[in-house]
Amino acid sequence: MLRYVASRLPSALVVLVVASILIFGLLRLVPGDPATTLAGPDASPEALGAIRSALGLDRPVWEQYLHWLGSLFTGDLGRSYLIGGSIADLVLGGLLNTVVLATAAVLLAVVIALVVGVGAVLTRSRWVDALVTGANTVALALPTFVSGVLLVLVFAVALPILPSGGVPPLGFAARPDITAQYLVLPAICLGLPVAGSITRFLVESLRTELAQPYVLTARALGVPRRRIVLFQALPAALPSMLTALGIQVGSVLGGAVLVEAIFTWPGLGSLVEQGISRRDYPVVQVLLLLSVAVFVLVQLLTDVAHAALDPRIRIGGSV
Amino acid sequence: MTAVQDPPVAVPVAAPDVRDDVGVGVPRGRWFAALLRGRGLVGTVFVGVVVLAGLLAPVLAPYSPLQQIPGANLLPPDAAHWLGTDEVNRDVLSRVLYGTRVDLLVLVTAVPLGAVTGSLVGLLSSLSTASDVVAQRVFDILLAFPVLILGIALAAVAGPGLTTVILVIALAEIPIYGRLLRGAALRVREMPYVEAATVVGAGRWWVLRRHVLPNAIEPVGVQVTVSLAVAVFVEGAMSFIGIGIRPPDPSLGSIIADSVTALDANPGLALGPLAVVTALVLGFLLMAQALAAGRRT
Repeated sequence: MLRYVASRLPSALVVLVVASILIFGLLRLVPGDPATTLAGPDASPEALGAIRSALGLDRPVWEQYLHWLGSLFTGDLGRSYLIGGSIADLVLGGLLNTVVLATAAVLLAVVIALVVGVGAVLTRSRWVDALVTGANTVALALPTFVSGVLLVLVFAVALPILPSGGVPPLGFAARPDITAQYLVLPAICLGLPVAGSITRFLVESLRTELAQPYVLTARALGVPRRRIVLFQALPAALPSMLTALGIQVGSVLGGAVLVEAIFTWPGLGSLVEQGISRRDYPVVQVLLLLSVAVFVLVQLLTDVAHAALDPRIRIGGSV
Repeated sequence: MTAVQDPPVAVPVAAPDVRDDVGVGVPRGRWFAALLRGRGLVGTVFVGVVVLAGLLAPVLAPYSPLQQIPGANLLPPDAAHWLGTDEVNRDVLSRVLYGTRVDLLVLVTAVPLGAVTGSLVGLLSSLSTASDVVAQRVFDILLAFPVLILGIALAAVAGPGLTTVILVIALAEIPIYGRLLRGAALRVREMPYVEAATVVGAGRWWVLRRHVLPNAIEPVGVQVTVSLAVAVFVEGAMSFIGIGIRPPDPSLGSIIADSVTALDANPGLALGPLAVVTALVLGFLLMAQALAAGRRT
C-alpha cells in the first residue's frame, strides 16, 4: 500500500511545482505594476521605489518566487493590497464558507446517487430506468448558472419561501434551521450535476457486478436479489463511484465560483472574483494555487482510496 | 422530457455491424445516421433551431442588440418585445439572437482549435517514448486546472474577452483529445493486423494514417459533440462571472448575468437566454449520446 502511494507521489508533486511556477509567472506578465496601482498616478519616483522595495518587487523574479513559496508554508501570506486585511485571514474565512457549501453539495449528491441508483437497479422497471436516464441527462445538461437562476426564480421570486442568497446572519452553528434555509438552494445547484454523473456510474457498475458469476452462485443458493444488490454488489460497486466523485472535484471547484456568484455566498469563489475585478493579484495567486493543490490532492486521495478498496490496482503496480 | 422518452423501445434495431479486421470500422454514413433518429434527432433539431436563429439574427432581430429604446424599461414579454426589455431599455430577443451568434463563433473556433491541436500532439507524441512522457506530463498539468479556474487565471493575465474565452476552451480540450488519440494509437499498435503490416514493412507514419486515425474517428466524433456542449457552458460561465464577453456586447452568458441583477423587477427576462443555453447544451449532449450508442450497436 505504502509503495503504491509512493509511486503516485512524485508525479503529483511535479504537477504542483510546475503549476505554482506557472501561476506565479503568469501573474508577473500582467500589464501594470501593483506598486503603481497602490501609490496612485501622482506618486513621486521615491515613493514608488519605497513601495516596490517594501513589497519585494525590486528583487530578482526567482527570489520573489521562492519567498512566495516559503510564505505559503509559514502561513504568512502577506496583506492584500486592495481588498484589505491579511490574505491568510481572507482565505481562511472564505475557505470555511466554501467547505460548508461543498460538503453539503457532495453529501446531497451521494445521497441522491445511492437512493436513485440502487432504487433503479432494485426495481428493474423500464420506466424507472428511462426516468433515471432522462433526469441524469437533464442534471448534466443544465449548466450551473442556468439551474441556479431557475432555482432562485422558482423558490425565491415566484414562491418566496427561501432566501435568494447570502449566508445565515448569525453564523452556521447558531440556528441550524436557518442555516439549512440558506444552504439548500446553493447546495442543490452545486450538487445536481455531481449527482447526475455519479448516479450513472453507480448504476453502470452495479449492473456490471450483477453480471458476475458470484451473483449467479448466490442466486442459485437462494439469496434474495435485494440482499445481493445491497450487501454484495453495492460494496463492490462503491469504489468506481468514489473515483467518479473524485473526477468531479474539478467541476465542484469551478462550480463553486459560479454558485457563489449566483447566491452571493462569501466563499473562495467570491474572493477570487473580487480579486480579479480589483486586480488584487497576490490574493488571486494564492487562490489559484490552492484550487490546483486541492484538485491534485483529491485525485491522489481518490487513487489511494480506490487502491485500498480494490486490491487488483495496488497489486497491478505502477500505472 | 417525457415526450422524448415516450417509446421505451428507443434502441434502434440496426443490422449488426460486420467489423472487418482491416481497421476501417463502420461505414461512416450509417454511423452519422444515428443523429437522424430517436434522441439523436431531438438533439439535432434543438441545435439546428438555435444555429439557424443565430445565423439569421440580422433578419430575425427586430432591433439592434445595442439599441436603447426610449420608454421601454424592464418591460415584461409582450407582442412588441417577445422576451421583454432589460434595465437599459434594450430588446432582449434581439440581444439573445445576436448573443447566440457570438456563442456560435466561439464554438466553431475554439472546439476545432483544441481538437486538432490535441489530436496532433497525442498522435505525434505517441511515436517515441520520450515525447510520450513529456506530453503526458503536460496534459497532467493542464488537467490540474479545472476549466473555470484556468479561465480565471488566463483572464487575470490576458484580460477578459472573446479571445480569452476561445483560448480557455481550446486549452482545456487539448489534453482530452491528446489522451484519446494516444490511447487509440497504443491500442491499435497491439492489433494483429498492425503487427502484420509492420512485418511486411509498414512504417510508423503509415500505421498512424491507415490504422490509428480511422479507428479514432468515432470516439473523436463523440468527443467533439461533448466538447461543443462544454464550450457553451464555459462561455456562459465565464461571461456570467464577468471574465468572458464584456458588456455591452451580447453573449448568452452575459445576457443571463444582466437578467440576474433585474430578477426581482422582471423575472421573465432570464427565461429566453436560459432556454437557448439549455437547448444548445442538451442538444449537443443528446447528439453525443446517440453517436456513442451508434458505435456500440
